[in-house]
Amino acid sequence: MVASLYAPSEANKALWVFLEIEGDGFASVSVELLSKGRDLADRAGWTLCGLLLGSDISDRANQAFQYGADEVWLLDHPLLAQFDVCGYSHATMQAIKEGKPSVFLLGATANGRDLAGRLAVRLRTGLNADCTDLILDEDRAVLISEVTGFGGGVIALLESAEHCPQMSTVRPGVFIANDPDPSRQGDLVEMKVNLKKAEIRSRIVARHVGEGVDLTQAPVLICGGRGIDGDFESLRELAALVDGEVGATRPPVDEGHIDRERQVGQTGIVCRPKVALNFGISGAFHFIVGIQDAETIIAINTDPEAPIFNHADYCIVENAHKILPALIKTLKTERE
Amino acid sequence: MTVDKGPIEIDDALWEELIEITDGKAAPCYQCGVCTAICPWGLVRDEPLSVRSIMRGAQLGLLEAEEAIWLCTACGQCEIYCPRGVPIVEVFQSLRQLLWEKRKTPAGLTPILWSVYWNNNPLSQPPSQRMDWADGLNLQIFDSTKHEILLYFGCTASYDSRAQSVARAIVEVLRAADVSFGILGEEEPCCGEAVLRLGHSPYFQDVAQHAVDIFEKFDVSKLVALSPHCYDVFRNHYPNINESFEPLHYTEYIANLIEADRLTLVGNLSSKISFHDPCLLGRVNELTDPPRAILETVPDAHVIEMPHSGPDTLCCGGGGGRMWMETPPGERFSDLRVQEALDVGADIIATACPLCISCLEDSIGSMGVTKLKVRDIAEITQMALGQESKNDVVEE
Amino acid sequence: MSDLEIVVCMKVVPKSEEIRVDKESLLLERTGVRSEINPPDMNALEMALLLKDDQPARISILSMGPPFFEPILRVGLAMGAERFFLMSDREFAGADTLATTYTLAQGIEKIGDIDLIFCGEESADGATGQVPPGLAEWLDTPQVTLATELTVDRKKRIARVRREIKGGHEIQEVDLPAVISVKTASNEPRFIDYHRKPWAFEEAKVVIWGHDDVDVEDGYIGLRGSPTVVSGLREAEVRERRKEFLRGSPEEVAKEIAKRLQGILT
Repeated sequence: MVASLYAPSEANKALWVFLEIEGDGFASVSVELLSKGRDLADRAGWTLCGLLLGSDISDRANQAFQYGADEVWLLDHPLLAQFDVCGYSHATMQAIKEGKPSVFLLGATANGRDLAGRLAVRLRTGLNADCTDLILDEDRAVLISEVTGFGGGVIALLESAEHCPQMSTVRPGVFIANDPDPSRQGDLVEMKVNLKKAEIRSRIVARHVGEGVDLTQAPVLICGGRGIDGDFESLRELAALVDGEVGATRPPVDEGHIDRERQVGQTGIVCRPKVALNFGISGAFHFIVGIQDAETIIAINTDPEAPIFNHADYCIVENAHKILPALIKTLKTERE
Repeated sequence: MTVDKGPIEIDDALWEELIEITDGKAAPCYQCGVCTAICPWGLVRDEPLSVRSIMRGAQLGLLEAEEAIWLCTACGQCEIYCPRGVPIVEVFQSLRQLLWEKRKTPAGLTPILWSVYWNNNPLSQPPSQRMDWADGLNLQIFDSTKHEILLYFGCTASYDSRAQSVARAIVEVLRAADVSFGILGEEEPCCGEAVLRLGHSPYFQDVAQHAVDIFEKFDVSKLVALSPHCYDVFRNHYPNINESFEPLHYTEYIANLIEADRLTLVGNLSSKISFHDPCLLGRVNELTDPPRAILETVPDAHVIEMPHSGPDTLCCGGGGGRMWMETPPGERFSDLRVQEALDVGADIIATACPLCISCLEDSIGSMGVTKLKVRDIAEITQMALGQESKNDVVEE
Repeated sequence: MSDLEIVVCMKVVPKSEEIRVDKESLLLERTGVRSEINPPDMNALEMALLLKDDQPARISILSMGPPFFEPILRVGLAMGAERFFLMSDREFAGADTLATTYTLAQGIEKIGDIDLIFCGEESADGATGQVPPGLAEWLDTPQVTLATELTVDRKKRIARVRREIKGGHEIQEVDLPAVISVKTASNEPRFIDYHRKPWAFEEAKVVIWGHDDVDVEDGYIGLRGSPTVVSGLREAEVRERRKEFLRGSPEEVAKEIAKRLQGILT
């Protein structure tokens, strides 16, 4: 059996969370993991540590303390200014060899997955990716990860009891971030980083963020059909309230009410949102194909025989023009 | 195409490819232009689809990966009027085949082929769910020693909820007539029509052979198909299965049942009905009588003919693989068809093809028409069975 | 300059809607379940083929799996790949990502002198997306994941990659050899080339490697080489649509919808 670089018996009862930098703070998933980690650490009496890599970012450690970290392990080096998986792997290894945590969690972002995948191999340890839940068995000091497989058809519980660190990645939005506690403080552990330019073997040459619309990434898809008579303004208002995107069937696109890049269906885009809210859509097959894998489908249509009701979880026989203002109002009130 | 604008460079290699792939079928064309004049694209566009130029190109060895080649709906209207009997639809399909070889096909078509390959249907639907629609219908797997016919549903009827209602109607009608029929269930092979029309002939041969193997395994002789698309390929494009293989369209079969007194229609329809001949039924395979024969026996069905009827039927726009391509509004043949039905005062457009139903209903919706409904002949027949038939439990 | 040497890692997966879990053995039921090539691997192969459209390249398919993978993956040869290596041995079975990436890496070393390794972004069964970075680590090469477009500069020995990230994309340059994972559905995999088809499905010799044919340490392969253990397995509830009608005034219905949204989204 392949052995990890350090055995569970040598590991410290610590949960480490990789803090991914985003804007002035951290990626939301890092904060969510700190919150979940705090919860697990409290129950088991373990230490929660954030792993912070970058250049000139020591001031960010405070944010991590506020979100619940007991310690922040800081690796500050000019070559870590931008995420590069080879450079970050080298630096992280140094910290892990020093800190020997029992558990190491990373957000399943594009970069998080890259880093986790390399490190797990370098550490000769197990990695459970895209976990939907984490449980810490304190008696055995084992992390149990719940994952789904086969397009959501199967749920598995995974553990690697004989290898350390026990690594798992978690997607954004699975756990809930706690509110920061401004009074909270912690210990900063500064590590000396050994890193050479030659160890960086790829370079980001250009970056374009914030362009185009990608309906396939939206957690909430709000689609309008013929029955909304072109009132996409209301749909956009609703979408803004639920962090969603607006899609459409072919007829409103044809009539010029909305761009073709928002057409959902067989000859448009196929999406798998958490929720698909459909207003004034009859549910022709070629549209259903575009949303049939949504976790929850809600449909509003005036025709009780509309085929879409055969493909929906919640069916409302009513005019979209009546439901939309009422729903927007309800959601706005809830926000306050 | 720039064909008529002065001296052109002819690529000999391309010319040879074209002659070979079209099997020289464009050769008899003498450029009269009737095809262009009669093509339904001329009804929806200012510039008609220049079928003539494309034929000329095929003769001369000129090929551009033009939108035009993908516009053809394989309706066959041009072929009816061509004075030289040029198989124009086939020439278009051969040109598409060449474009496949050169990898110059429009986006969105290759996934259709892969869908047939991995899922046994062009609709990217799970093969294991092919028979889900028939839950509770108690359909029997075909047994050549017991069953008179194999009822072949096809992919659209298996997966498209609108077409499933037609499938259920046919089942009820056959049971009312005491017909002993079987199905192939999950083993029902895709007929491959989409592959043929999209122009990938070599792959179509494989799909057809696979289907033939299954029909042979089940010892199928008489096959009744729901869709004229499936029916057409079985009848005209499949290799010989055996002497006794006889594909029928369900309208033929039901018309025969009525004539043989195995089925009597009693339910009152009280509607003005116009029959829209699907191209592959009425024009290409000359089956204009059976659907009308059925309608004639329905009490109180007033049948009115639209101007383009029978062999002159106006294509709905869904054939030739067009169901997988976007047709901009204002260019949809079915809009014109709906207007024809309205103009003759019909309450119902009857048809016998799931693709026609889809196109016509789409047009009715987008035109905001409320007084016209689309019904399949099977659904009308089912409605006309009368109350008694619904209580019959027929065992196969 | 010699051909660009490319390896594309591909695998066969069961069709996800057909998966059943045997409740007693906690194993996945395989009998009668249809298979397909992991769809993202088709995108990976297409990216390699697009490179080959532009410059001389040799594409080798590499897979780790049981013998039944062979006839299915020959499709890759029909699409344009030249060689197909299948690592197949009982000893390789039961591998988690660590053991899988280790085994594949040894296969790549044995093929030798590779410039680029393409993988699908993730697999339809496990969907961890961890094979590409793990592979890169074993091979000690750099990696770029979520690639949608790629060009190669042979002189500079780099690849220029367009990579999808949240809210946009970045362009990265990476030293060769490198492991590239290809974003799912980022291209349209070409169909079978019928001129290649007879060779691909009948004549082409697929090289099959057992654990004795490759330089592997027994402790690192298969079940033994897998730190991750499955301690529980069950079928997720099949999603049958509820078709529940919500009734009432628009205000009442709106509240019901909002309640459900809250439940789902938090």
